[in-house]
Amino acid sequence: MDTPPTSATAVTRKKGLTKKLVISMLLVGALPLLIGLFLAFYQGTQKIQEVNGTSFKALASETARKLDLVVADEVSHTSLLTTDVNLIRFLEDQRDGLSTLTSANLSEVLAQEQTAWEAGDLDSTKRITQGPIAENLRKHIEGTYIDPGHPIPIITRSTTRALYITDIAGRIVASVDTNPSYLHAEELWWQSAFHKGVGQPFLGPIAFDPQLQTYTFTLALPIMDSLRYEAIGVLRRVYDTKEFFAPSIDTIRFGETGHVMLIDSRGVVLSCPILPTGTSLSDNQLIPLVTPMQAGWTPAPSDGHGGQDTSIIGFAPLTNTNRITEASNGLGWHMFVWQSSEELFAPIQQFFRWTAGFGLLGVGLLVTLGYLAAHRITSPIRQLQEAARRIGRGEFQEPLTISTGDEIEELAEEINRMNKQLASQFAGLESQVQLKTEEVKYLQESTSQILDSVPDPVFMITKNNTIEYLNQASKEILELSGNGSIIGSPLFQILKVDPKTQNKLEGEIHTIQTTSLQLDVPPLSTPAISELRDPLAQSGWDQSVGTRPELRMRHRTYRYRWFTVEAGPGKEAFVGLVLRDTTEESALQDRLIQGEKLASLGVLSSGIGHELNNPLVGVIGLGEAIQDEEDISNMKGYAKDIVQHGKRMASIIRDFTGQMTSQSSEKVPIDIHAPLTRAMNVVQAQFPNSAITMHKEFGSVPLVRANPYEIEQAFTNILTNAFQAIQGTGTIDITTALNEGHIDIRIADSGSGIAPTHLPKVFDPFFTTKSQGEGSGLGLTVAYRIVKKLRGHIRLEDNARQGTVCHITIPIPGEVSIPRKEDE
Amino acid sequence: MNRRGSNRYMLTTIFMFGLMTGINSGLQASDNQLLPDLSPEKVADYMHSIIEADRNIYTTYVVKRMQEQGIVLAREDWETKNAIPLPAQFLHLSSKLVAESGVGIRFRLISLWPIHRRNGPATEFERKGLESLQHSPESPQRGIVTSGKKKFFQAIYADTAINTACASCHNAHPLSPKRDFQVGDLMGGVVITIPLEQ
Repeated sequence: MDTPPTSATAVTRKKGLTKKLVISMLLVGALPLLIGLFLAFYQGTQKIQEVNGTSFKALASETARKLDLVVADEVSHTSLLTTDVNLIRFLEDQRDGLSTLTSANLSEVLAQEQTAWEAGDLDSTKRITQGPIAENLRKHIEGTYIDPGHPIPIITRSTTRALYITDIAGRIVASVDTNPSYLHAEELWWQSAFHKGVGQPFLGPIAFDPQLQTYTFTLALPIMDSLRYEAIGVLRRVYDTKEFFAPSIDTIRFGETGHVMLIDSRGVVLSCPILPTGTSLSDNQLIPLVTPMQAGWTPAPSDGHGGQDTSIIGFAPLTNTNRITEASNGLGWHMFVWQSSEELFAPIQQFFRWTAGFGLLGVGLLVTLGYLAAHRITSPIRQLQEAARRIGRGEFQEPLTISTGDEIEELAEEINRMNKQLASQFAGLESQVQLKTEEVKYLQESTSQILDSVPDPVFMITKNNTIEYLNQASKEILELSGNGSIIGSPLFQILKVDPKTQNKLEGEIHTIQTTSLQLDVPPLSTPAISELRDPLAQSGWDQSVGTRPELRMRHRTYRYRWFTVEAGPGKEAFVGLVLRDTTEESALQDRLIQGEKLASLGVLSSGIGHELNNPLVGVIGLGEAIQDEEDISNMKGYAKDIVQHGKRMASIIRDFTGQMTSQSSEKVPIDIHAPLTRAMNVVQAQFPNSAITMHKEFGSVPLVRANPYEIEQAFTNILTNAFQAIQGTGTIDITTALNEGHIDIRIADSGSGIAPTHLPKVFDPFFTTKSQGEGSGLGLTVAYRIVKKLRGHIRLEDNARQGTVCHITIPIPGEVSIPRKEDE
Repeated sequence: MNRRGSNRYMLTTIFMFGLMTGINSGLQASDNQLLPDLSPEKVADYMHSIIEADRNIYTTYVVKRMQEQGIVLAREDWETKNAIPLPAQFLHLSSKLVAESGVGIRFRLISLWPIHRRNGPATEFERKGLESLQHSPESPQRGIVTSGKKKFFQAIYADTAINTACASCHNAHPLSPKRDFQVGDLMGGVVITIPLEQ
C-alpha cells in the first residue's frame, strides 16, 4: 500500500499537530499557573521576610530599650554610693593627705601598703574591708542600703562579683572582699573613670576573669569632691555578664529557635540562650551588618550561629548605654534577634510544596485533556488526509462520514464532492484513453502494413546510423528474416555498398541530420524520356553516374531518396531512406535509348541521304554531261549548276550541324522584340500570297544577352513552321511577357495542329510531316538548340481550340542589368 | 576616635577658641610680675562673658538658622539622630572639654530644677547662690569655697531663658521638675570655679 517514506512523513506530521496542540494548551494553561506560583512564592517569601524583619526589628529595639533601662538603673543605683558625704569627705582627706607627700615618698608609701595588703595584713584588711565605707558597700550589695534620698531599700542583683573604692592615687580604700589587688591607677577602667580628674562613667568590655573563672564586665564611676570640681576617687563594680543580662534576655523566646541575644560591636556574645557568653559570631561578615547605629533588620547570608542559611536578623543598639561604653572603650552593645530560616520559611515552603503539587497535578490534567482534545481534532483531519492521499493516488473510495459539525465536516463534504466529480471525469478519460490507445495501435499496425506492402525498401535510421525500422521489402532484398537482430544494428552493416557510395551516403545523412532539412534530391522517377530522346542533347548526359542518387548492391541498381520522420516530443527525428530497384528500368532505358538512337540515326541518315542525294545526282549528271560536252560555254553552264548543287549541299550540312556560317556568334544585350519583329517581316516576305494575319502583343521585358542572328533564326524557323501549318487563311498571335524571372514568348497559330503521336518528335532532326522537298526537318531542331543555348525551354502544345502553341521561356540572367529599351 | 566623638569635638571648637584666648591672656597677666595681679572676680567675669557670648551665638546663628532653613535640628539625642546638640548641651560639652584641658579653671551649668540630677547644686553655696539670683539676676554670687584643704573662688552667674525654645523644651521634658518657665525667667546659673593657690 504505502511506500515507507510517505507513511513516515504522515506519521511525523500527525504527531506534530497533536504535539503543537498539547504545547499550546500547556502554554495557555500551565505557563500562567507556573508564573503565578512563582510570583506567589516570591511575594510570600518577600512578605514573610518583611513582616518578620519588621517584627524582629521591633523586638530588638524594645529589648535594647529595656536593657538600656536596666543598665541606667544599675548605674543610677551604683552612683548613689558615690555621693555619700562621708565617703567624699574621707576621700578629700585622703587627697589632701597625699598632696603633702613628695612623689618619691608617695611611691614608697604605696609600695609598703600594697605589700601589706597582699600579705593579708590584718590592719590593712580590717581597715579596708571592715570600715564604715566597706560596710556601706556590703549593705548595698545585700540590699539593705538605704539612700538618704530614697527611703525604700534598693533591690540589687546578686550578680556583683566585686565592689570596691579607690582614692585619687588609685589605691583601694574600701572593698567588700579581699580579692581585688591594691593599686589600680594603671588600669584602664580606673584611668577612664578618673579621666584626668574630670571623671566620667566607665562601662567595660566583656573579658574573662581568670580569678572568678567567668566572663565579667566593669562599671566604674568617678567619685567627685564636694564641689563637684574634680574626681577624688573611683568606685568599681564587677558583674558576671551572663548572670547580669540573662534574666532580661534569655527569657525572650519565640517559636522553636527564635531568640534575642546581646553582642558587642566586635561580635562577641554577652548573653545568648544558645551561644555561650564570650564566644564570637560564627560569621565575621555579619558583624557590620547587624551593628549599625540605628535599629533595623536585614536578610543575612548566615545566621551567626554556625548555620549558612539565609536569615532574617533584627538588630538595635543600646543607645544610652553605648554612650558610656563607646566613651569607655569604643565598643557598642547591640541587640540581635534571630530565628532559623528553616522555621521562618516553613509556612511558605509548605505552601509552595502544596501549590507545586497541585500545579503538577494541573499540568498532568492539562496534558491528558490536551491530548484528548488534540486527538478529537486531529483524527478527522487524519481521515481527511488519508482520503486526500487515496484520491491523489486514484483509489476512489467511499464517501467520508465526518460529523464534527464544524469546518472539518464542511471540508469533508467538499472532498466528497470533489471525489465524485473526479470519479466521473476519470471514467470519461479512461474510455477516451483506451480509444486513443487503440487508434494509435491501429495506426501503427496500418502504417506497418502499408509500409510492408510498399514494394520499395524503406529504412528508418537513428542519428547514430543504426536501423530503427525496415519494412518487408527491405528484408526481402537483404534476405533477412525477423526483426530482433536487425533493429539497432548499423545501417551499413546491413546495407553493403562499395566504400565510395557509403562515404557519399554518410555525408548525405550527416547533412540531413545537421541541417534538419529535406535534401533537394530529384524525384524518384525515371528520367524524362523526352530528355533522353535527343541523342544530340548534351544536358541530359552531363550527370556522371557518381553524382546520381543511385547505388549498386548485390548486382542491382537502386535509386534512393532521403526523408526525415518527425519523432515524438523530445526525441530525435529519424532519417528515412527509400530505395527503388531500377535495374530493369535502367536496362530498358538503355535499350530504349539505343533504339531511339538507332531510329534517329535512321531518320538522320535517310534525311541526309535524301537531301544530299538529289544535288549529288544532279552533280553526277552534270559531271557526266561535262565529260561529254565539248562546248566550253555549256561546260561553264554545267559547272555553274554543279556549284549551285554544291552550295545547296553545304547549306544542308550547315543546317544539320547547326553552325552559322558567316554571322558572328558574339552575344550582346538585346531586346528580343527586335529579332522577333525582323523574323516576322522575313516570314511575311517568304509567303507573300498567304492570307495570314499576325497579331503581336509585346509586354515590357528586360534585355537578354544573346546572339541576335541566332535568335532571329530561331523565331524565323518557328514562324515559318506556323505559316506552313496554316492552310489558307488563319491567324498567328505572338505575345511576350515577363514572368517570375523569365521572359515568356507565346506563338499560337490557327493551323492544323500536331498529332499527339508527333508531339514528342517535333524537335528531332529531319522529322517532318511535309512532303519531300517542302522542308528539311531541321527548322525546329535548330530553334531548339538556339533556345537551349540561352538556357531556355521550348515546347509545342496542341492548342485546345485550334492549331498549335509554341512556348518559349528565356531566363533573365541576374548579372545583366542593362536598362530596358522601349521598342515597339 | 569614633564618629560621635569627632562630632562633639567639631561642634565645640568654636567655643573653645574664644574661651582659651581669654583664659590665656588672664594667666599671662598674673605670671608677669611687672603687671598687677588679676583678681579672680575679673577672670570669672571675663570667662562668663565669653561663655555667654559663645552660647548665644550658637543659639541664634547656628541652631536657629539651621532649624529655620531645615538643614538640621538640635535635639537632646543628637548623637544618634543626626542632629546637633541643644544650646545647654553645647555648654555641658564645652565645660567638659575645658575640664579635660587641665588648666584648672572649670565651669558648670547648674539649676535648682535640673533635668538630670547631676546638674543640680553640689554645695550649699551653690544652692544659696541660685536662690539669690532668683531675686537679683544681675548680681553674680561670688565667694570662697573649700574642698577639704583646697580653696576655690566661685562665681555664679544667672542663666535666663533667652528664647521660647529654652522655656518650652524644659516645660515639656518628662524629667523636668519645673514646667512653667517663661522667656526671660531664670532657669539656672553658670558656676565658674577657680582654684586658689596656697
